[in-house]
Amino acid sequence: MTRSIRYLCFIFIVGSLGIVYALPPAEGALLDGLMGGVEESLGKKAEEKGERLVIGNFYQAERPDSHAPIGVMQDHTHNKGEFMFTYRYMYMYMDKMRNGTDNLSNNDVLRDFAVTPKNMTTQMHMFSAMYGLNDTVTLMAMLPYVMKEMEHQNRAGANFTTNSSGFGDTKLAALWRLYAFETPSIGSHRFHLNTGVSLPTGDINPTDNTPLGNNSLLPYPMRLGSGTVDLLPGLTYTGVRNNVSWGFQALGTVRIGHNQQGYKEGNRYKVNSWGAYRWADWISTSARLNWQQWYNIKREDGQLQTTVGPAQIPLVPTADPERQGGQRLDLMGGVNILFPEFMGLENHLNVEAGAPIYQYLDGPQLRQAWSFWVGWQMVM
Amino acid sequence: MDNNTIALWVLASLALVMAPGAADAYEVGNVQNVGSIHGRVSFLGSSKEPLHFKVEKNPEVCGQERSLMKVESRDGFLTGAVIVLEGIDTGKPFPPQTYTGNLPGTGEFRYLGGESLGLHVKTKDCNFGPFTGVIAANETVQFQNQDSIKHVLHSFVSKDTRGKILRTVHNQDLQPHDEIVRVFPSNKMENGVVVRIICNRHDFMQNWLYVVDNPYFAISDQEGRFTIDHIPPGTYTLLVRHPVLGEQRQEVTIEARKDLQVGFAFGDE
Repeated sequence: MTRSIRYLCFIFIVGSLGIVYALPPAEGALLDGLMGGVEESLGKKAEEKGERLVIGNFYQAERPDSHAPIGVMQDHTHNKGEFMFTYRYMYMYMDKMRNGTDNLSNNDVLRDFAVTPKNMTTQMHMFSAMYGLNDTVTLMAMLPYVMKEMEHQNRAGANFTTNSSGFGDTKLAALWRLYAFETPSIGSHRFHLNTGVSLPTGDINPTDNTPLGNNSLLPYPMRLGSGTVDLLPGLTYTGVRNNVSWGFQALGTVRIGHNQQGYKEGNRYKVNSWGAYRWADWISTSARLNWQQWYNIKREDGQLQTTVGPAQIPLVPTADPERQGGQRLDLMGGVNILFPEFMGLENHLNVEAGAPIYQYLDGPQLRQAWSFWVGWQMVM
Repeated sequence: MDNNTIALWVLASLALVMAPGAADAYEVGNVQNVGSIHGRVSFLGSSKEPLHFKVEKNPEVCGQERSLMKVESRDGFLTGAVIVLEGIDTGKPFPPQTYTGNLPGTGEFRYLGGESLGLHVKTKDCNFGPFTGVIAANETVQFQNQDSIKHVLHSFVSKDTRGKILRTVHNQDLQPHDEIVRVFPSNKMENGVVVRIICNRHDFMQNWLYVVDNPYFAISDQEGRFTIDHIPPGTYTLLVRHPVLGEQRQEVTIEARKDLQVGFAFGDE
């Protein structure tokens, strides 16, 4: 990373923290007081129905679906002084190679490459905390511990496995309440802005023993972080009416500069929409669509071996920066269970699992087969 | 620019910032030749039934069922109407008073009085206090939870008497046997007429606190009676407010050492 980019990151982080701390005493959502016309119109309609319009009715922990499905992060803000600790476990399985929307056999890949990945598992233990700094800002920090395993096959038919594990990139975020309103007939509607940074604490030089030799540098998908400071902008909307809740979230991961290995991971954009139904005070089920698009790597890691032999045969697709991008639409189903006042706290046990229903990869790349999430959230 | 000049600029800026607030603030002072008002608030509408709630959370503390009487009247007179005399800047201190909630809850609104209103909300048996009360902007309010269960205190301010549009002021957990202190700041309370407080966990816990800026207020008793005393002579607006029935007002002229009798009558909403 060049010095100027480091300065830019430093200024961004210090600036963000400065904004957060300069604003208090923050007294409410950012758009409070600026929505007079909307409020008047909504208020009139509510009055015609004999209802009241409530402005600024943000987070309530007393529903099982007060949190989005566990695979969605930064989905809600907290009230002033409120803490929430979350532990998430994610298991993702990838198998079969794909190019575009076509599945490829191992032999298809081995025609062009010396080695093909066969499958990959990614496990993550994610520890995160949220804190309601004031009535405007909720702070969030998350640190993942990542374990990856990839099985390969070479042209000789031999199989081998590589592993990497360690802490991933640390995410720090500030969630800014924008606006919230509610009437009994139209339900409650809440908007907040997501801002954050991802700090490069994940290892981008993982090594393992391979047929090329001991302690070989592992290719891009096996790395535990991006190696760059990334910006995490986004916008979240959630709604609740009677026993139904729903949400929409658009989040980006925008890379700044290049990492120490000389490359930059592609930006990633994610759009989530979900709906949940509360069957009882303590249980809700959810369905979620998650659209993701991510781009190829810019430049390349000069230390990573990409060809093999005097014929310069491409080694493995995972070492090619031009074969990393893609798009995917996942369909997920989940269950949220509320344990009110368990150990004196509001506790949520959430489970979610699903699989892609559409996947276009700049391949050959391993396609995702399915993923599973489970999480425990404690609000205090 | 020397230090003295800078200090003068700072003081002048502070004076500019603080001047409007200082001009509006009520001050306790010695006022001679005071008068008083007494009267009754009638309710001529049909008698109302209480709302009934089946308690879903914490019935062991709150009881299996609860009721809430929003329009409470007896023999044609209204209980719990808030009477406010507007436009007095100087006068008597805020009187210490205590109002207890309706059974089975025994929460109370305790006004410590003196230079300020000094509201303490003592929550007990899933009851914040009586259905109506008063509150002052820019003052600390102490919320005490005497219950062994958590309440989630949610307060809203509204610019109209019946609270047609409510804006959140605080949304805060009130832990068992804990207390919190919150200020209802003037920027959030701007033009606010009433503060509604509810518990997010127990929907029968709801109260309406009308905003006052002087101690010349009263809450009608079980016979609809009210009295406001030690009023400086002058002409004022006397308001009567109720969360369901709305607002009535009349001009009153207070004469030295005289008692003025007034009456208000509400019909159905």
